[in-house]
Amino acid sequence: MKIIVLLKRVPDTEAKILINQEGTGIRKDGVKFVINTYDEYGIEEGLKLKEKLGGDSKVTVFCLGPEESTEVIRTALAMGADDAVHICDPALESPAPFTTSAVLAKAIKDEGFDIIFCGKQGIDDDTAQVQGGIAEALGIPQVNIASSFELSEDGSRALIGRRIEGGNEKIESALPVIVTCDKGINEPRYASLPGIMKAKKKEIRTRTLADLGFDEMPAAGRSKILKWLPLPKGGECRMVEAEEVSDAVKELARLLREEAKII
Amino acid sequence: MTVEGIVLVVLFAATLVVFGFVVRMLIRTLLLGKPQGGFGDPLRRFWSVIVHVAGQARVLSQPAGLGHFLIFWGFIFITLGTIEHMLGMIIPGFSYTAIFGSAVAGWISLLQDLLALLVLFAIIYSLYRRFIIRPVRLKIDDPAARNEAVFILSLIFILILLMYCIKAIGIVEGTIDESYAPVSRIVSGLFEGRDIDLGLMESVFAWIHHLIIFFFLLYVPFSKHIHILGAIPNIYLRNLGPMGTLSRMDFEDETADKFGNSELRDFTWKQLLDLYACTECGRCQAACPAFLTDKPLSPFRMIHRMRGHLTDERKRLLNSAGDDIEGTPIIPETVTEDEIWACTTCGACMQECPPFIEHVQKIVDLRRYLVMTESRFPSEMQPVFKNMEVNYNPWSMGYSTRADWAEGLDIPLASEKKEFDVLFWVGCSGSFDARGQNISRALSSLLKKAEVDFAILGTEEICCGETARRMGNEYLAQTLIEANIETMKKYSFNRILTFCPHGLNTFRVEYPQFGFERPVIHHSEFLLELVREGRLPAGAVEIKKGAYHDSCYLGRYNDIIDQPRELIKMIDGVSLSEFGRHGKRSFCCGAGGGRMWMEEDIGKRINEERVDESLELGVGDIFTACPFCLTMFEDGLKSRNIENIKVLDIAELMVEAYSAE
Amino acid sequence: MAKDVLVFGELRGGKVKKVIKELIAAGKIITDGNGGSIDAVLIGSGAEKEAEKIKSLGLRKIAVIDEEILANYSTEGYAGALAGMIKEEGFGYILLGATAMGRDLGPRTAAKADGVMFSDCVELRFEEGKLIARRPVYSGKLSIEIAAEGDYPVFVTIRPNNISPAETGGDSTEIVSRPSGVTQEMIRAIAKEIVPLAGGRPDVSEADVIISGGRAMKDAANFKILEDLADLFGGAVGASRAAVDARFAEQPLQVGQTGKVVNPKLYIACGISGAIQHLAGMRTSKVIVAINKDPNAPIFEKAHYGIVGDLFEIVPILTEEIKKLLN
Repeated sequence: MKIIVLLKRVPDTEAKILINQEGTGIRKDGVKFVINTYDEYGIEEGLKLKEKLGGDSKVTVFCLGPEESTEVIRTALAMGADDAVHICDPALESPAPFTTSAVLAKAIKDEGFDIIFCGKQGIDDDTAQVQGGIAEALGIPQVNIASSFELSEDGSRALIGRRIEGGNEKIESALPVIVTCDKGINEPRYASLPGIMKAKKKEIRTRTLADLGFDEMPAAGRSKILKWLPLPKGGECRMVEAEEVSDAVKELARLLREEAKII
Repeated sequence: MTVEGIVLVVLFAATLVVFGFVVRMLIRTLLLGKPQGGFGDPLRRFWSVIVHVAGQARVLSQPAGLGHFLIFWGFIFITLGTIEHMLGMIIPGFSYTAIFGSAVAGWISLLQDLLALLVLFAIIYSLYRRFIIRPVRLKIDDPAARNEAVFILSLIFILILLMYCIKAIGIVEGTIDESYAPVSRIVSGLFEGRDIDLGLMESVFAWIHHLIIFFFLLYVPFSKHIHILGAIPNIYLRNLGPMGTLSRMDFEDETADKFGNSELRDFTWKQLLDLYACTECGRCQAACPAFLTDKPLSPFRMIHRMRGHLTDERKRLLNSAGDDIEGTPIIPETVTEDEIWACTTCGACMQECPPFIEHVQKIVDLRRYLVMTESRFPSEMQPVFKNMEVNYNPWSMGYSTRADWAEGLDIPLASEKKEFDVLFWVGCSGSFDARGQNISRALSSLLKKAEVDFAILGTEEICCGETARRMGNEYLAQTLIEANIETMKKYSFNRILTFCPHGLNTFRVEYPQFGFERPVIHHSEFLLELVREGRLPAGAVEIKKGAYHDSCYLGRYNDIIDQPRELIKMIDGVSLSEFGRHGKRSFCCGAGGGRMWMEEDIGKRINEERVDESLELGVGDIFTACPFCLTMFEDGLKSRNIENIKVLDIAELMVEAYSAE
Repeated sequence: MAKDVLVFGELRGGKVKKVIKELIAAGKIITDGNGGSIDAVLIGSGAEKEAEKIKSLGLRKIAVIDEEILANYSTEGYAGALAGMIKEEGFGYILLGATAMGRDLGPRTAAKADGVMFSDCVELRFEEGKLIARRPVYSGKLSIEIAAEGDYPVFVTIRPNNISPAETGGDSTEIVSRPSGVTQEMIRAIAKEIVPLAGGRPDVSEADVIISGGRAMKDAANFKILEDLADLFGGAVGASRAAVDARFAEQPLQVGQTGKVVNPKLYIACGISGAIQHLAGMRTSKVIVAINKDPNAPIFEKAHYGIVGDLFEIVPILTEEIKKLLN
């Protein structure tokens, strides 16, 4: 089975994200980049499937991103992926989500695929659009935010669990399918040292747009960022006080609704 | 030569030949291990043998050790007698009197006579301890081990009785001077005036005695009494360097598919010699915080089982040529995962061990294999490793927030100052944990007050690697260590100051392995120095009673025991009490060896055991000099619902002393 | 460029979700600035009946698609139906709730209809002929304002509770039934069943709202007051390590370095002092509320809202107040 895993290089969840001086983006200095957290679940799910199937099943990692992405690709290879395709082209510096979809879809199609795993969203721009675009471009079904995955006994269909409000949805899908993984689907493994050593020698095939047969960047609707805004709150805890406890609590409930917009 | 003498020589020679083969086999077994060198400094080593073999220093550090001391020396004198007797059988007319004169021979005989009596008592007491008292340290789950001890003690007992009989007959026959054999003289009453062939009887006793000795020689290498052979070389070859130092692993070979130790051949020959040296005295177990809180780990049982495993393996491994034969994994059959993860690396076992066995390194070597090669470890360790990799601290706090505690305090940064006297290494606790941050603030306020020329690395500082190393993740540890060394090399400073004993130990002992050596000073030493130099006043607090808890890595590992106490005593108003277990024999808080970040599901919590000790003794407040200990005490007190006992770092105590002024 | 707005009315369990009123209000922001009308579409069983409920919200038309094959949600079926309608009728803006369904359906439909998509928006305005949306990025550490480039239909998913719902009023809207054009072969992934949560509460690592208790809960039985509050949100109950050690709560509920690492939308810490081992497990929660009697407890340093006081007094009042707000 040809198992495809998609991954993205993103700033670490703990990184301090600050707007740069020009106000045109984030400051990259002092930001640690890692594999997108949710993509790690995708890698693990791909590896688990490969181990279960055995034989000549193979996990190939696809990553679209800058040169530095090789670092996170190596991490995936260290975890056990067999090889990788790195799509790296100066024209793809900040592609529209559906452009990313089109490029990845083409590369995946060239490679051949039976199933695709990735995270439910990138924790940088949080758009969760690329996977839908890939599914559409490849003309395959998609199952988003999967919390469990297995193949049917005859191996012809995917059985996927999804958390929804108040329960778990059980979805059955034909193959190939793109499955986007949520927390809880598995516990990603810790790469062993022999794995890390071997990863250094595994092949990463670098592809440009031209390599993939694109004369120009595939067009797609894109949004332009007009302005970067820091969050209004300065991190200080807002202490809710009142003479009567009940008034303070009432005020807290109001703040949660009107300011935090959580209720 | 008599026929008897010829038979004896032949038997003795045969025994020696067999014994020689056994020893050769033992040495070949040891050589299955990896090479290890660094055994220079012969004078110190000889002296160490005198102190610890002849003087039995560590054995005598506990009262029950007197028994061993007596048996040891008693046996030597009995053996002197045995040699004399044997030579007498071989060379007619041989005796010590004939060679050394009656005075020397008399003293030998007298000591032999008296010591043997004491040994008898010691053996009776040993059996009494094993069967009636059953102290913690002698508890073992393998009945064969106890039976073996009893068997050997009984043999020695019989040997002594035989010796007395032989000497008594000598007295009756007038060949031995009774004035130098008071005990034998009493025994001689049994033989006096009886109508028996004393010569024949003496001969029978002597033969039984000598055959037992020959048997002993061949039995010893296959029993726990192999320590008679193993302990002396092990003491000679012992680690003279700092305690618990872990070996530096080499990751250059990228084709390696195994890191760390999974089978016996992965250990060095000296580590295997450790297995021969174990007496199964159980002192390690009686001091082990894991064992004492009902964890599955007992250091000596681990050694005992590893030796058994070595015995099982050696035949197979010695008969095979080369490395092509697979060794049997030590985990989980011989040692379990729960055991190796229960260890806090506190070092109490190694501190107590009379023949200087190093348990902790073996445990870490086994951890290394599981972590690095198999990626198999308690699940709560994975976030710790990942956090260290990405954010350089165990808690997943963003690395760029490392110096947030110092905001607004005007604390100099190394990157701005470049040259300074003292590098204040804040550490992960000091940087991120609320209580640790409080210590950082307290200590830096003291440094400022004393006008110390210091700086911190700020966000350039990353985890020192100590915990990762002891958790078995040597690869991660080396990444952290090398990065820190590179950072520190950018600046010019004279010494490193830290309030974390784990950092202290790793800078002192382990960074030099990577080519970085700089004096390291603990804040308890440094603050004491500042007060003594008059750069800081001693201060006073409202009357406060409390006990100082020795951190393992400070007291036991680095011998910093008096300094914190002296510092505390200088503060007016503090009355210092002591834990029962303190100083080098302090009891671990439960946080070392990465246990700080792991769940403790088996047995009693170690920190609760320590808190209970403090409550039983009514020591009052707890003063610490380690951020991990502080956390463990606070947690333990919380779980005992105690709110009126405070846990204070000594720097916090000093700050309190000034604010009360 | 097409000006009309299409609002997707999500049906779950045969009921239209209340976020539709917020979507209609968002649609009005667009039509107020740009002209055009707002249509709604409801897909699924009970669509017709539910359409009645949104009849008087100032819509031009409500399309209902109630076909056997679309009775239950499927990405491909719904995306096919929706994209078909957009292509045929030429909408310029398509609004969906940023719910599990909306976040699944939106991108696929946008890709099908060759659109541009704004995910997870919290604020919309129309300025200088452009729709400008504000949305959080980097897990909410920053937000950005975005506008579309080029002439593409704009898909927007809007986070619930951020835009005041549209008020009832105006004429009754016409409800028309629409064929979807979706065939069985188009749907290759289908929901077979929905298994309700065992025990009624989600796992602590998966819940959107977590109410956690510490040692100050004093007793296992007292966790009932946390459960009452959690149940209002369909949330989970968590516990600090100290509370688990004291056996007030089971180990699977433990939040922290050695327990579960969580990042819910709302985390309420009741009687938890905030030791680093706990903070490491919940610090990234979107909104943290701390209730503690000790004003110096470290938890307040990480919390967004704090109340100092007795949790046994505060929590029940909070439950009552939130109950009022939710109704």
